[in-house]
Amino acid sequence: MVTERLVLVAATLVLAAVGLLPVAAMLKETLIADGRFSLEAYRALLASGDHLALLMSHSLQLAFLTASLATLIGVPLGVLLGKTDLPWRSALTLVFAAPLLIPSYVLAVAWLSMVGRTGLLGGILPEAWSREIGSAFFGLFGCTFVLAAAFMPIATLLTIAFLRNINPELENAGRLVSGWLGVLARITLPVVAPAIVFAAVLIFLLSLGEIGVPMYLRFPVYPVETLTQFAAFYDLRAATVTAAPLLLVTLAVLGLQNRLHKRVLQLGRQTPRGEAVPITLGIWRLPLFALVLAFAAVVVAVPLGALAVQSFSVDAYALAFARAGDSILRSLAFGAAGASLLAVLGFFWGYLAERRTLFLWWTNEWIALLLLALPGSVIGIGLISLWNTKATSFIYASPAILILGYLAQYAILPTRVVAASLHAVPRSLEQAAWLSGAGWIATLRLIVAPLARRGLVAAWLISFVFALRDVAISIVVYPPGADTLPVRILTLMANGAPSVIAALCIILIAVTLLPLAAAGLWLKFGVARP
Amino acid sequence: MSAIEFRSVAKVYRARRVIDSLSFTIEAGERVVLFGPSGCGKSTTLLLIAGLVAPDSGEIWLHGKVVSTAGRIHAAPRSRGVGMVFQDLALWPHMSVAENIGFGLRARRVAAAECRRRIGDIASLVGLGDYLQVRPGELSGGEQQRVALARALALQPRFLLMDEPLSNLDAVLSRRLRGEILRLHAELGFTLVYVTHGQEEAQEIGSRTIELGESRAL
Repeated sequence: MVTERLVLVAATLVLAAVGLLPVAAMLKETLIADGRFSLEAYRALLASGDHLALLMSHSLQLAFLTASLATLIGVPLGVLLGKTDLPWRSALTLVFAAPLLIPSYVLAVAWLSMVGRTGLLGGILPEAWSREIGSAFFGLFGCTFVLAAAFMPIATLLTIAFLRNINPELENAGRLVSGWLGVLARITLPVVAPAIVFAAVLIFLLSLGEIGVPMYLRFPVYPVETLTQFAAFYDLRAATVTAAPLLLVTLAVLGLQNRLHKRVLQLGRQTPRGEAVPITLGIWRLPLFALVLAFAAVVVAVPLGALAVQSFSVDAYALAFARAGDSILRSLAFGAAGASLLAVLGFFWGYLAERRTLFLWWTNEWIALLLLALPGSVIGIGLISLWNTKATSFIYASPAILILGYLAQYAILPTRVVAASLHAVPRSLEQAAWLSGAGWIATLRLIVAPLARRGLVAAWLISFVFALRDVAISIVVYPPGADTLPVRILTLMANGAPSVIAALCIILIAVTLLPLAAAGLWLKFGVARP
Repeated sequence: MSAIEFRSVAKVYRARRVIDSLSFTIEAGERVVLFGPSGCGKSTTLLLIAGLVAPDSGEIWLHGKVVSTAGRIHAAPRSRGVGMVFQDLALWPHMSVAENIGFGLRARRVAAAECRRRIGDIASLVGLGDYLQVRPGELSGGEQQRVALARALALQPRFLLMDEPLSNLDAVLSRRLRGEILRLHAELGFTLVYVTHGQEEAQEIGSRTIELGESRAL
């Protein structure tokens, strides 16, 4: 259908324009000096090579350690939560997913509110001990720990999702001759291995671009240097040149996992045949439950609880609202606007990804994944390179630039959510509508969208949460006097009272999770299943 | 003493009583076909024999020993001497033909040399000798069928359970493989429980037919 092609091509072009044009503009900025082609900026970059090489090695170390730790713990946890008869699996899955929904530096603040000198442990332990523990938390160790806790849900949730998709007969055939451990090690996990490796690579790339946690825990990494060039020296050219190696590393890693990405998508499209049989833990059920519960307490509940305790005064909250009330409202407004646009465009991107009616589906998918993997600071600097002109200052100086950043970085989220929900809508339902005389748009409106409405609501929600927790793009592009709550907290950290910072972090968690919980309830009880 | 005995076995799936008070016996070495309309519990009966699911009520006996009772599996699937060919074959896509066939042998820690010999023997028996290093995805439907059969036979099972194994093949290939199944049964002497809803197939394979009734909503 002509309309279908036109609309889907247009949707792909929008993604390319929103995401790739800024990156192209950034690269152009580095290659043109005084209106002429020049490699001078790169020569200068190489001249300061030792310093930058050290920062890059820090970033790579941090990304590697985080990805390894998060995958090593996240995958077995995913197996326990997604495959066994462990009690409270759904509730525990939500608890472990929580760190992904809040900015990762909030977790760092939470941990320091426990182990820092002024934290809870500081009041209990001798001063020398608490100083020792607190200082050990700064640097590579603390960054790895916090980021692994923040990104572990990616490995856990992907493992759970792909374990559900596995054909139970593959496991049943193994169970006839082997115990569950042998089946898991030699059949189940190898079948979902592409998804596990994919999760590890994604965590690696997200950790590579992380800004908030290394800044807060004082571990010098490459993306912070990029930001410093821009924010401290306001040298856009130096910032763009410094950002280029990050772009190259991301492209190289994504290029290497091209085939893997396709295999993961193929795995995700499999429809499970038959009912999955959970692993019966037997006598291990309660000990493992206790272990998982203790782990949930250590990784999520205790640090967030410590944060809540530290913020526990009316004065702290009053001061927090006085100093950041405007940022809270802006965050909600920008998040809602970004999420709405992402949900609408994501519907078409997701449709293209699931139906694959145009060869462009893979281009769309790849661009979206690249943009998620690119450090937010690189996208931010690219957006400024593109839109900071006289003709386009109405975008550059307005919240629109922030929304464009959200559209670029988080495009993959609604795409995947919508594609997953469309997987359950048979193509034949559309074909029947066409045979009845409906056009493509009418079919989408009357058949596909209503049947995929739960997916659309979920796409909006996940986009909203990620826009709300965004730091890396927001800190680079927010218009003057229009910062978001995560940016405000990060800037207040330098000289704000710990109780006020803690209160702001709790407010940020609340404004993220409360709408999510309300929408979750609405999804469960208010939207009828198709 | 019967090889397989069901005593008033019932199984409920998603608010449907797929098996209701089913009782039957099968003698060692018999070729029995489970026959009936779609959804009548034929495949579930095989899963119950294999110990992959537990009955909701009743008892299942294998060679004079109770192996499953209501909600409980007393003998693990791997200890029942069962080989099974699944409806969609369930070949492990990440393993070669040899690895698929030898999985059970390795799980039982059979020595590598013995493992290779037995894989070679069983592969020759089903005519797969040339395809041992190939992955299942590269084989034709009939060849994949043979891999599934070889894998099920590799541990010399006492029971071979087959769940509509020929449903996806054309008529000519289906007839040829039926002949091979009968030949293997005569050669190896296992107890065969075969699920189909094809009348011709049932008559050719089975020395006896057990007809199952329709499932009922609860």
